[in-house]
Amino acid sequence: MTDTEATDTQDAGTATDGGKIQIRLENLSKRFPGQRDPAVDDLSMDIPEGEIVIFVGPSGCGKTTTMKLINRIIEPTSGRIFLDGEDVTKTNPDLLRRRMGYVIQQIGLFPHVTIANNIATVPKMLGWKPQRISERIDELLEMVGMDPGDYRNRYPKELSGGQRQRVGVARAMSADPDVMLMDEPFGAIDPITRDRLQNEFLRLQEQIKKTIIFVTHDIDEAIKMGDRIAILREQSHIAQFDTPERILVNPADDFVADFIGRGASLKRLSLSRVRDVELHQWPTVPDGASRDEVRRVLDASNKSAVLVLDDQRRPLRWVNADHLHRTDDGRALSEIGLSPEAVVQPNATLSDTLNEMLSARYSTAIVVDSSHAYQGIVDIDTINETVRSLRRAERTRLEGDDLEDRDD
Amino acid sequence: MGEDSWYSSFWTYLEFTWENLLELALAHSIIVILSVAISTVIGVGLGMATYRAQRPRELVLAVTGTFLTIPSLALFTLLIQVPVLGLGAPSVVVALVLYGLLPIVRNTIVGLREVDPSVVESALGMGMSRWKRLLRIELPLAWPVVLTGVRVSTLLLIGIAAIGAYINGPGLGEEIFGGLGNLGSASALNQVLAGTLGVIVLAVLFDLVFVAIFRFTIPKGIR
Repeated sequence: MTDTEATDTQDAGTATDGGKIQIRLENLSKRFPGQRDPAVDDLSMDIPEGEIVIFVGPSGCGKTTTMKLINRIIEPTSGRIFLDGEDVTKTNPDLLRRRMGYVIQQIGLFPHVTIANNIATVPKMLGWKPQRISERIDELLEMVGMDPGDYRNRYPKELSGGQRQRVGVARAMSADPDVMLMDEPFGAIDPITRDRLQNEFLRLQEQIKKTIIFVTHDIDEAIKMGDRIAILREQSHIAQFDTPERILVNPADDFVADFIGRGASLKRLSLSRVRDVELHQWPTVPDGASRDEVRRVLDASNKSAVLVLDDQRRPLRWVNADHLHRTDDGRALSEIGLSPEAVVQPNATLSDTLNEMLSARYSTAIVVDSSHAYQGIVDIDTINETVRSLRRAERTRLEGDDLEDRDD
Repeated sequence: MGEDSWYSSFWTYLEFTWENLLELALAHSIIVILSVAISTVIGVGLGMATYRAQRPRELVLAVTGTFLTIPSLALFTLLIQVPVLGLGAPSVVVALVLYGLLPIVRNTIVGLREVDPSVVESALGMGMSRWKRLLRIELPLAWPVVLTGVRVSTLLLIGIAAIGAYINGPGLGEEIFGGLGNLGSASALNQVLAGTLGVIVLAVLFDLVFVAIFRFTIPKGIR
C-alpha cells in the first residue's frame, strides 16, 4: 500500500529522476519576423525543482532567447510554458515576471535609486508593508555578504563590479521567487572575483534551493555551477541534457564532445574536491629538529625531502639532503630549503589543486585544515588515479542504468 | 554747455523709468514661463509617445523643426488673423509654444533613447508595467537631458518674446519697439538699450534658476 503511493507520487513528477518539475517547456518555438529560420525550434524540456540548470552552447545557439521565452520577455511564437504545473503562456506577463528573479550580465541596477530601493522594487509592486520590505532588504544584504548599515543608502555607482553583482542577485531574490533566471550573471567580472562570486553563489544555493536557469557560453562555468547541463546547438536544439558527470564521461555526440573540448578529463577534476580523495602522509620534522634527526627521517623514508612544520604544525619549508649539505653552518631549518607553495584546503577542487601544483612546479600539494595545520599531501598520481576511477565508476553506473531501463 | 555722455543720460533714464521696466520684465517672465510650461508638457508628451517608433519620431522632429524656421514676425502676423487669438498675449503664447517645442521634443527623444538598455530590460524582467518603466525608470534617467532641452527653449523664448510686442504682446519688447517708434527723439536710444539689456539680464537670471532646478530635480545617483 505505502509502496504504491510512493510510486504514484514519483510518477506524477515524471521524467527527471523522479523529482518535482518546476518548469515545463512544451514544443516551444520562436520565429522573429523577417528571419527564415526560427531562433528556437520546437524545444521541450523539464526543469526540476531546486536545481541549477545550465543552458550552454556556442554564441547564436539561442540559449539567451530560450531563457527570455520563459519569463516571456520574448513571447513564444508557439508552444507552451508551465510554471509549477500552471500554464503561464497567456497569463499577464508582468505578474509572471514578479514570480521569477531575473539577473542579466550587465545587472542593470537602477542608477538613480539607492541600493535599498533597488532591492525593494518587486516587494513594493507586490504591496508588501514598509516594515517587511525594510527587514527583507537587511536580510538579503547580509545574505550576499554586504553590511546593510553601510550599503542601504548608497547608489549603484558607488559600488564595485562584484558588489553590484551581489546586489543584482539580492534584488532578484527580493520577493523570494521559486525560480531565478540568470543570463551570464558573472560574465562581466574579472576572473578572480568571478571565482569567488561563483563559490558564494553555490553556498547560497545550498541554503535557498531555488530552481535556477543559468545561461553561459563557458563550459567550465557550466560544469562548476550546474546540477544539470543542457548543451544547446543552433536553434536551441538540445544536444545533451544531463548531469555534468555524465556529459563529461559520455558525450552524446561529436558536437558535445567538441564543445566540451579536449580537456574533458581535466574538467572532471572540478567536480571532486581534496576532501574526497585519500591523503598521503609525508615525512615531517618539527622546526627545532637537529640536522641529524632530519637526516635520519630522510634515510628512513623513500622521499627526497622532509617537510618542516612550526609549533602549530603549519608547513614552513621543504628541506632535502642537498640543502642540509650546502648549508652546514648551523642555520635554523626554517631558513634553508624551499618555501612550501601549492598549499590547499580540503574544500579546494582537484582542478584548483592541480593548478597550484603546476604553477609552483611541485608534484605534490600540501593539504592544511582551516587553521593552516598540516593534514597530509596530494600528489599528481593521486589526481591521475582519481580521474581514472571517476571515469570507471561513471561507466559502471551508466551500464547499470541501461540494465534497469531494459528491466522496465 | 557740454552734452552729457550717452551713459549718464541712460542712468537718468533708468532712474525715472525703473518701476515701469520692472513691470515689463515681470510680464515678460510670466509669458515666457507660461509658454515654456505648455511647451514642456506637449514636448515631453510627444517625445514619450514617439521615441520608440522611427517614422512618428522623424515626423515630429521634422514638424517641430519647421516651426523654428518660420520668421517670428511672419508667424505673429499669421496668428493674429486667427479669430480667437487676435492681437496681444494669446497669439504670443501660441507662437512661443511652437518655437519652444523642438529643443524639448528632441532632447526628450534623445534622453529616452540613451537610457541604458540593460536597466530597462531588468525593469521589464522584474515585472514593471510599460507605464511604470517609463515614469519610474526611463524618464528620471532621461531627465538631465530633457531639462537641458527645456533650458535651451527658455533662453530661446526670452529673446523671441521681445518681438511679441510687435503684435501688442506684453514684456520688454514694448520698450524696444517704443524706442524704434520714436527714432530721433531724445529717449529712443535709451528705450531700446533698456529693453535689450533687460532681456539679457532676464536670460541670465533664468539660467541661474535652471542651475537650481538641475540641482534639486536630478537624483543623487546620476549626478
